[in-house]
Amino acid sequence: MKKVFEIYIKTTPERLWEAITNGEMRSKYNFGARIKSDWKAGGRYEQSHPSSHTLLGEGQNLEVDPPRRLVQTMVALWDDDVKKEGASRITWEIEPVGDSCHLTVTHDQLREGANEQLYGGWPMILSGLKTLLETGELLTTPGSLMYATPSSRR
Amino acid sequence: MNDDALVFKALADPTRRLLLDRLFERDGRTLTELESAFEMTRFGVMKHLRLLEDAGLVVARKSGRVKLHYLNPVPIRLIHDRWIDKYTEPHVSALAELKKELENER
Repeated sequence: MKKVFEIYIKTTPERLWEAITNGEMRSKYNFGARIKSDWKAGGRYEQSHPSSHTLLGEGQNLEVDPPRRLVQTMVALWDDDVKKEGASRITWEIEPVGDSCHLTVTHDQLREGANEQLYGGWPMILSGLKTLLETGELLTTPGSLMYATPSSRR
Repeated sequence: MNDDALVFKALADPTRRLLLDRLFERDGRTLTELESAFEMTRFGVMKHLRLLEDAGLVVARKSGRVKLHYLNPVPIRLIHDRWIDKYTEPHVSALAELKKELENER
């Protein structure tokens, strides 16, 4: 199964790349989860949250081509149901358009009928990413604050 | 027309809402699969799909010789964050407060 998510964000490819790969910035719009990696092709990445002593997700960086393209496997670890789904694949593509960027997130290699939790968060994540880059602020909708931490609200 | 207006306009039509629902049920469908649900010409369904694509609600991807259509729910989320959450949140939190108070009285 494949899911496609697209958004236009008024920013540069470099800033967008940083917001996706910088742990601190990522936590501001990704349900409070930080991401950590050396960002080398073939290397691993981990997603963690200060309120959880286990990892929320992990995977491998298959292609790393800043500031245009990032392909990763994703293994969700936040609960037993999503753990059963195994690995899927996420492709981030950044294409500059005028003063903005067209960002496409393709989430594929999902099992047919896969748990919606795996991909259902993308609209909220991308909306928060847009708000962060365009206004420097955090989304304050109840859903986006649900997992926020005191440090990620700063 | 700005982005929000395009989305509202796209959502204002029952055929287009039904198209979104069909894609929500299952993503990655061809025009032929989609048009079977409508008593409308292929051209008519194509026109509605084009409007949904213009609003960013549907994304088309080539797969071999066919064009597959995917639902992109992000613009709806943006409308939700901008136009819906703001107005519904106070009610939700007021009810949550009331529940807490009533339960504490017992």
